Amino acid sequence: MKAEHGAVHGGRQFRTSSAVRDWLDGCLEKLRTGVLTEADLRQGVSVLEAERAPHQRLLYLYSKSTNPRSSLSAWTLYDPATSDEPVLPSQDVPYASVLDAVRDGWRIVQFPRPEVYRFSDLDNAYLGFEFILERYG
Amino acid sequence: MRDIEPTLNDEQVMRFIHDGYVMLEGVVDSTLNTACGSVPAGHLTDFVRSEAFRREVLLQPQVGGAARSLLGANLLVPASAHHHLYEAPHRGQTWHSDGLTDQGYGITHLQCYYYPQAVALEDGPTMILPGSHQRVVDREAIAHYGDILGQLSLAVPAGTVVLTRYGIWHKAGPKLNTTRRGMIKFSYYRNTLPKRDWVTASDAVPAFQYPERHPYVTEVESYRDRRRGEHTWNWLCGTVPVAEPLPPAHRVDPGIALDELVRRA
Repeated sequence: MKAEHGAVHGGRQFRTSSAVRDWLDGCLEKLRTGVLTEADLRQGVSVLEAERAPHQRLLYLYSKSTNPRSSLSAWTLYDPATSDEPVLPSQDVPYASVLDAVRDGWRIVQFPRPEVYRFSDLDNAYLGFEFILERYG
Repeated sequence: MRDIEPTLNDEQVMRFIHDGYVMLEGVVDSTLNTACGSVPAGHLTDFVRSEAFRREVLLQPQVGGAARSLLGANLLVPASAHHHLYEAPHRGQTWHSDGLTDQGYGITHLQCYYYPQAVALEDGPTMILPGSHQRVVDREAIAHYGDILGQLSLAVPAGTVVLTRYGIWHKAGPKLNTTRRGMIKFSYYRNTLPKRDWVTASDAVPAFQYPERHPYVTEVESYRDRRRGEHTWNWLCGTVPVAEPLPPAHRVDPGIALDELVRRA
């Protein structure tokens, strides 16, 4: 489920860049048609350097309890470096638990506090319990 | 035109209470599905009030029968609709519910999705979260949610109608291609006091049976879902007082009473 640079999300790595993928696809196409040039390959360096520009990524994980070892019910990744191209939904949880994500290098920046979850005998509301994690680099 | 007969039984009504939707795959005739291919996006009135649309969609025996089972006799039949049409690729909408969540236990409003063309996963199908109709939320405060265990992409054959409990979380899913993806959305409303007049095997009212817990639901949330489901079941069976105005005071469509349509015919 996990890869070197983060978790796999429905077959996609959380850190996979479409810019790198687009550059590679372009090179492969040119290679097949025999028009690949040195400049095409050198362009990959600038694509990869742009990818390395440090930025913050946010990972929202919804745990079945306040315990970070609990299983997850939902998740979302917000990464400003990824493109806006549509991606299919997934039912593959990126991590087994919040603690599993921490083990992979994510840092918790918001813990769910029980007192903000209004208790009712009848009405459910938002997904709980919301942990927000970040990674910078 | 004959009156519409209920089609759902006790078990199916309980299932709707729990899931918040019932799906009827490929029930609309292909001629009507094809005719929808030239319908523009946006608000629809004349097309929805046409004899063909009423016969093949709104009062189609399975569609009308499910609505009749959940909303009772002389329900209000839609007189308008909205055509949600997508062609260009997009990231998809954010999770939301429409309007204000109906917080009562009763079922007074069914919001329905009709798909004239087949919808594949890459076409940007509507996504729903079964059971979410029982959650009281601010629709803008769930917009950051992403993937949720148990979410359902409505990748369906042509002519499918999905009837949902108003308030269910939904969104247009991500669309990867330029295939036309249309969905005509309309609403039925309750117009009479509830009673157990769907398909029944006996007059003895069974107790509400709670199905399995939805995958994203916590333990304590499942207790609440069960209790809320019991309240809704009792309300539908007419064994508790009704507080809601009937028909609902706030409607996106005034609708036309089924008895009136039968009389005109």
